[in-house]
Amino acid sequence: MTLIAVTLAAVTALIALEEGGAASLWRHAYLVPVLAAALRFGAVGGGLTAGAAILLSAPLVLPEIERSGLTSEAVEGIVTFAILGLVGVLGGALWARAGRHRRRYELLLTIQRTLADEGTLDVALARLRGTLAGRLAVDQIGLIVRDDDRLVIAGGERVTDDSLAARVLAAGTPMCVTDTGERGWPRRAFATPLLSGGRVVGVLTAERSGDFPAGERAALESIGAHLGLALENARLVSRQRRFAVELEARVAAVRRELEELDRVKSAFVAIASHELRTPLTALQGFSEILAVRRLPPDEVTRLGEVMRREARRLGRIVSDLLDLSRIERGLEPALCRIPVRVESSIEATIELFREASTSHRITTECEPALPVVDADPDALERVLTNLVSNAIKYSPSGSAVRVNARSTAGGVAIEVADAGRGIPAEALGRVFEPYYRVPDAAGAARGTGIGLAVVKALVEAHGGTVRVESAPSMGTRVTVVLPAASRS
Amino acid sequence: MWALDQAYAPRAERLLAETPATLLAGLAIGAAVAVALVDLAVLPASTLRVVGVTAGHGALLATALAWAHAGVASRIVAIALLALAASASLSGTLGAAAYLAPALWIFWLANRGRLEGLSLGGPVPARAVAAGAAAGAGLSFHLLLSATRTLSVQVRADHVGATLAAIAYDVGANVLAAECFFRGVLFTRAARRWPLPAAAGISTGAYLLRYLIDPLLPKSAELVAGAVFYLALLGVINCWLLAWSRTLVPGLVSATLFFAAYRTLGPR
Repeated sequence: MTLIAVTLAAVTALIALEEGGAASLWRHAYLVPVLAAALRFGAVGGGLTAGAAILLSAPLVLPEIERSGLTSEAVEGIVTFAILGLVGVLGGALWARAGRHRRRYELLLTIQRTLADEGTLDVALARLRGTLAGRLAVDQIGLIVRDDDRLVIAGGERVTDDSLAARVLAAGTPMCVTDTGERGWPRRAFATPLLSGGRVVGVLTAERSGDFPAGERAALESIGAHLGLALENARLVSRQRRFAVELEARVAAVRRELEELDRVKSAFVAIASHELRTPLTALQGFSEILAVRRLPPDEVTRLGEVMRREARRLGRIVSDLLDLSRIERGLEPALCRIPVRVESSIEATIELFREASTSHRITTECEPALPVVDADPDALERVLTNLVSNAIKYSPSGSAVRVNARSTAGGVAIEVADAGRGIPAEALGRVFEPYYRVPDAAGAARGTGIGLAVVKALVEAHGGTVRVESAPSMGTRVTVVLPAASRS
Repeated sequence: MWALDQAYAPRAERLLAETPATLLAGLAIGAAVAVALVDLAVLPASTLRVVGVTAGHGALLATALAWAHAGVASRIVAIALLALAASASLSGTLGAAAYLAPALWIFWLANRGRLEGLSLGGPVPARAVAAGAAAGAGLSFHLLLSATRTLSVQVRADHVGATLAAIAYDVGANVLAAECFFRGVLFTRAARRWPLPAAAGISTGAYLLRYLIDPLLPKSAELVAGAVFYLALLGVINCWLLAWSRTLVPGLVSATLFFAAYRTLGPR
């Protein structure tokens, strides 16, 4: 700028020294500082420098016009200055426009490069904001992009509902605010939508103390349109990457589940084989003894009783396996429901256990006048058998197993409680899963891990509920609630 | 960032909001009464000078102070000081020194931080003052050169007292009131609504209008054309200085220098 001022002064001095006035050939030398200013500062710079040249030469030209009128030399001088003004303004405008286009293309290239790097949308947006802040002559810049149902924001913490950015995001048209209302010198804000396929995918906001001229607003709108496309691509790539990661995690989880299932099923086959083999061996052995030996009647009766018990056990296991098979196929257990008195079922089941087991004290307590339930007697017996069997298996010898029945709102609650080892809290949620066995239970007692799964399926098939409460070393209580029969 | 986390409501305030209408009406009535009394020869003709300065510059300065939220007392004191200075200046060159009083009052208010709305009282960058001085000096030099070469005027050094009195009037009334109103508040208010070139156009247009209706401005076509040219240039330059430096001081400096140069001119 100093050089331009010095050149202007030097040219004026040369015109003054020559005393040529408007006709001085030195007047053409003004073109040098005017062009220099136009190339350096644009239309305003070129125009102002041409104006300064006219101002500087006016004291030399005007007296001559006053003295001699508009001579041909004076007109020539005036035309020269008019051309000077035109060259300054037009040259500056064209140069500035070319510069704007060049900067815009450079910026777009930089944007593409910035978004081409791998990373999440949040990271890409923050990086992009840094790039734009370095390239656009604004005080503050913000970027907001819609990512499904969330907003990714760079340049701020949040977007309030009635902010300029929110309005542009909703309306999809650019908005310029000439005063943000802050104290001191007026501060401008401009926001333009980021568009992708005619859809508003975000907003670009800029703030500065100076103006946002029409040319600059148009440039920002154009950048917004390009940014929208580029960011939409980046967003989709980011989402695809996220989906890939999630999918990989899900596949790994499913694979782990399948491996676990496979392991559990293998364990189940081994256990089930053992469980089936034990009563089968007893049946086989005792039946052979009965076939080949002549035994006293009492012994025959005893062996027959053992065989009957083992046959029942075998039957129960097979029934459980069949029910499990139906459950795994998504079918409900087959039921034949009739009105059943819960007290009778409990007593019948408990009687069987009392006959077979002398190691535990089994007590029952039923409220008087319990409602009749609409249930399959066999299914109810299997439910009770499974629960009492578990209570006996997992509680120490000599301890008590309590079976209670009480009426509830609209049904009957049957509780089977023991004073056994209890179930750890982390296993409580899984005890109704097929094949699942509490980790340290396998060593404590025999079992297939399907009993409680069958209980749950049978109870739910009756429209009832089952829940288990337990604390380690405090025992376990399983509560089955069955709805009362409608006619009761 | 304002655009993200602050509520945006389109501006509802009018451009001329908070104008001290009562005070301006009082000044107008006072001026009309004074003119009538002068016509009736109850008051001497010199009273018109006092009334003109008090009503004209007082109205501009009071409006500027009101728009800058400076308080009622500060406006009344400014008008009173202008009236006193105008009265004192009737007694001669030394009396014109009283015009420093309104300038000192504004300086005092600015120093107390009460004139932030006028872009006064904040930091003043030395380079901005230098730019203002350079702009004022450049315009002054051009005025002196072109006026002495084209118009029938010359730089006169034989009326030093009158020149100094006129410069004091510019410092304490003319330049002070015009810059405070046309740049300090009008340009800033307009800039809150429209782009800077439009705001500068409004401010400068009003500035020109103020001088064109001034009864003291010579009425010859050449002088009016010259006044329009230089005042328009001065107005635009001062708007740019304010927008660039965020302080009114460079504009005050450039205008004071320009008017000081103008005061040195006299007929051949």
